[in-house]
Amino acid sequence: MVKNIIRAIVTFSIDHPKTVISIVLILTAFFALQFPEIKIDTDPENMLEDNQPDRIFYRKVKKDFGINDFIVVGVVDEKGIYRPELLSRVDRAIAGILKIKGVIANDVVSLTTTDNIKAREGVLEIRPALHQIPQKKEELDKLRRDIATNPFLNEKIVSKDGRAAAIYIPIEKKDMSYRIGKEVEEILKSELGESQTFYMAGLPIAEDTFGYEMFMQMAVSAPMAGLGIMLLLYIMLRKLGFVFIPMMDAMFSIIWAMGALIGMGFTVHIMSSMIPIFLMPIAILNDTHVLSEFADRYHAVKDKRKTLLEVMEGLYIPSFYAPLTTAVGFASLSLTHIPPVRVFGLFTAFGIVAAWLFSVTVVPASIMLMNEKGFLKTFAHEGKHPWQKRILKAIGNFSWNRNILVVIGFSVLFIIGVYGISLTQVNDNPVRWFKERHPLRRADKVMNQFFGGTYMAYLVAEGDAPEAIKSPVAMRYLDNLQGFLEKDPIVGKTSSVVDIVKRINFVLHDEDKDYDAVPDNKDAIGQMLFLFQSSGDPDDLDNFLDIDARQANIWIQMKGGDNQQMAEVEEKANVFIKDNPLPPGIKLRWSGLTYINKVWQMIMVKGMLFAVIDSFIVVFLLIALQLRSPLAGLLAMFPITISIVTSYGLLGLAGKDYDMPIAVCAVLALGLGDDFAIHFFHRIKQLYLATGSLEESNTRFFQEPAMAGFRMTLVIAVGFSPLLLSSLTPYVTVGLFFASLMIFASMVTLILLPAVTRLSGHIYLKKGD
Amino acid sequence: MVVLSQDIVYALTGEEVIKKSQSAFYYAGKDFKARVVMRLISKEGKERIRELTMLRKNYGESGGDQKYFIYFYQPQDVRDMTFMVYKYPAKNDDRWLFIPALNMVRRIAANDKRSSFVGSDFTYEDVSGRDVEDDNHSIIKEERLGEKDAYVIKGVPRDEKGADFSYKLSWIAKENFLPLKEEYYDRHGELYKVFTADEVRDIQGFPTITKRQMKDVKTGHRTEVAYQKAEYDIKLDDDVFTERYLKKPLKKWIE
Repeated sequence: MVKNIIRAIVTFSIDHPKTVISIVLILTAFFALQFPEIKIDTDPENMLEDNQPDRIFYRKVKKDFGINDFIVVGVVDEKGIYRPELLSRVDRAIAGILKIKGVIANDVVSLTTTDNIKAREGVLEIRPALHQIPQKKEELDKLRRDIATNPFLNEKIVSKDGRAAAIYIPIEKKDMSYRIGKEVEEILKSELGESQTFYMAGLPIAEDTFGYEMFMQMAVSAPMAGLGIMLLLYIMLRKLGFVFIPMMDAMFSIIWAMGALIGMGFTVHIMSSMIPIFLMPIAILNDTHVLSEFADRYHAVKDKRKTLLEVMEGLYIPSFYAPLTTAVGFASLSLTHIPPVRVFGLFTAFGIVAAWLFSVTVVPASIMLMNEKGFLKTFAHEGKHPWQKRILKAIGNFSWNRNILVVIGFSVLFIIGVYGISLTQVNDNPVRWFKERHPLRRADKVMNQFFGGTYMAYLVAEGDAPEAIKSPVAMRYLDNLQGFLEKDPIVGKTSSVVDIVKRINFVLHDEDKDYDAVPDNKDAIGQMLFLFQSSGDPDDLDNFLDIDARQANIWIQMKGGDNQQMAEVEEKANVFIKDNPLPPGIKLRWSGLTYINKVWQMIMVKGMLFAVIDSFIVVFLLIALQLRSPLAGLLAMFPITISIVTSYGLLGLAGKDYDMPIAVCAVLALGLGDDFAIHFFHRIKQLYLATGSLEESNTRFFQEPAMAGFRMTLVIAVGFSPLLLSSLTPYVTVGLFFASLMIFASMVTLILLPAVTRLSGHIYLKKGD
Repeated sequence: MVVLSQDIVYALTGEEVIKKSQSAFYYAGKDFKARVVMRLISKEGKERIRELTMLRKNYGESGGDQKYFIYFYQPQDVRDMTFMVYKYPAKNDDRWLFIPALNMVRRIAANDKRSSFVGSDFTYEDVSGRDVEDDNHSIIKEERLGEKDAYVIKGVPRDEKGADFSYKLSWIAKENFLPLKEEYYDRHGELYKVFTADEVRDIQGFPTITKRQMKDVKTGHRTEVAYQKAEYDIKLDDDVFTERYLKKPLKKWIE
């Protein structure tokens, strides 16, 4: 039934090639027309459902405390920043930055914009730390002392050693950070001198820059990979036309999938930007089965129409079920709780279906439009590629003759893989998505050496009634908690309303150390806060204390943003809370960008695992049904299972963290592994029915049918190597995983499956009809 | 008919209008006392209250020195806090604060005239007046605002560093020179703060803005100020404005 329909489609395409290609071109144009509507979303936070509780809370925290995400700029001068010339440069740079659109000028924290509260001869002085450029040495020393002795400023706006100054630039929206970052860079370039270097850090800029570079990568890496694949296809098939057909189909399926995604109003997110890279090998795989066998068969038939029909006859079923299974596998990703993964799964599935459609329409139609003479010339003789055949034959013999050894070998590999997986560390950090040498990585390192930390998390203390936070008991508790957390080397600095109260108390008492503490009297706390509020920007307090003093926000600056480091700090706080019960009515809850990243990355990593397992089960059921044998279904899962287990096992053994990009790669194994398996089992069954001998089937399988898979392995493993040059590690990871998964999947198909078939083929093949 | 704006000749210059406005707004009477309720209202409608008595005495001409004394009733935990300002038009103000919980008076030195007054949307300058010389003033048009004829004055800060706005537009009523509305534009020329005079009453012959509002249009936060009682020429003693009275203000002045 299915076979008849597909045969009708193929026959129609063979008979009306121009009509078929025109229709495909028109539809492709329609999908391409959606592209200008593209909406790009570079916010990794959108990995979480909009109503995810931590996300709702983070939004509330940002609103209650008037908080924005910010970029951190560091200016480093080896000779120290306390020099008049340099201070005026920094002063001018800050003035320029305040004028950038999208910068929340009132909240910029820096030498010239942040007040220093200090006591001098009984007078309370509230002025920007740098309100005029000191010229004399005494004045410069005084400025240095002023900053070094104020915990609010030290290690925040100037480093401990006085060699670096920092500017914290809050921005209206996270997706402005790349643009604002560029403008800040321009200002710094023109204002700073030769002996100063500057660095830019902060999660928003890392995330937004990643988003920006991601699209650059899509425009560079994907076509580069495409070119590499074309070259290899040419080496394998020796016909230029046969290189263009799969590339064209890959392009078309990408245009269809992305066009549909954009046209239906979805945003192109980090995940969906990977659709082209995922579709390319899968689409090429479909076509290569047809083209590879056509090339190998033609010399015997010497007629393109007849060759096509003959080749297609054997491919109708496996070439339909393989992509269908893959598509269902991807579509099952839509069951996850990660919105971009759902979109990714559905539209990749759509692209795969489109690619299959092209393999039964565009491929035969294109072949029909090619000159018969060309085929005669290229494919007239057998044995154009003897080395490929020799290798395959050797593999075939090896797996048949040494089947026990093969089974034992793969079992060992599998066990090593499982062991490697047990060593896996689940960890992620968006800054690590850049390669080590990337300026952002370097900035991150330098800034976290000099300052209190560029990764921000919030610990929100929530009272049960207004004014709850102003109680001395609550204040003292938070003070102790902060002191405890600051002992952790990852935590660089913490700041809260408690620090404000302590600072005012200290300053009011003429900087007497005994008063660097929370006062005992609730009214005194209220009055100190009122004084603070009356003296500077009211937002300064709002960032730490909400409008009715029911909630306080402790800012925790961390020197690292790894999920594991975040989890460690959380654990540390839990230990403190266990040993020191919270004051009655006070609750603590985490938030902030570093925390949110941890949340979505954990959900993502676990979610992907379940998504892959779901798809795995779906694929198993489909194959078992097609082959009408649970045993065959199980065996068919070998390429997927073993390629995943060994690839991830190697990762664990290598000590590399299991992060978001790597989690995503697991689905790729589904796409490639099942194609190999389905083709293997359909072919071996056909051959077994024809010959009645397992050994003979095996030998024949290694003549033509295995060639397509073998070729694809080489093409994809090598063709995607340009991705290794990408400046973004997720692309590098994908490149490596393509190679690793392909090699393992084809090794299993070409070596393990025949070996197992020798042992059990009589069981699962007997049932054949 | 073609009228070019340059051709319009006004009876007053922009600076004269602003001077008259300041005189009507900040210098009315010899002295002044008001019981003030400020409502600080967040975008979501959450409110904080500041309740205070404000005393003001003029020294010299309109536009000259002034002294202010403020006693806080609310919020509850700052009750009895007092605040005193000696205002000098050409230089930084002197300020003192009394902190009752510590029984301590502190002088405060700050060059932050543009910073918030007690956490509200009003700045210190909005409470006691901005120096006329700090801006270049020009009349850009005359128009009717509501029922009233007004001059529209554009004020551009002479020192861009000293202000958080790049320019402001003021609608000054022709009848009494009180401001009807002010719009503050930020560094990018975008509107970010709007002042409106919502109620004007005649008190002892002085037109007085008894209800006003400042709204931050970017954050949605606003502050409403209402005078519950207001009185001019109450013959304030000079020693009201001393450190001794800061600690123990006389009841008759602050009630």
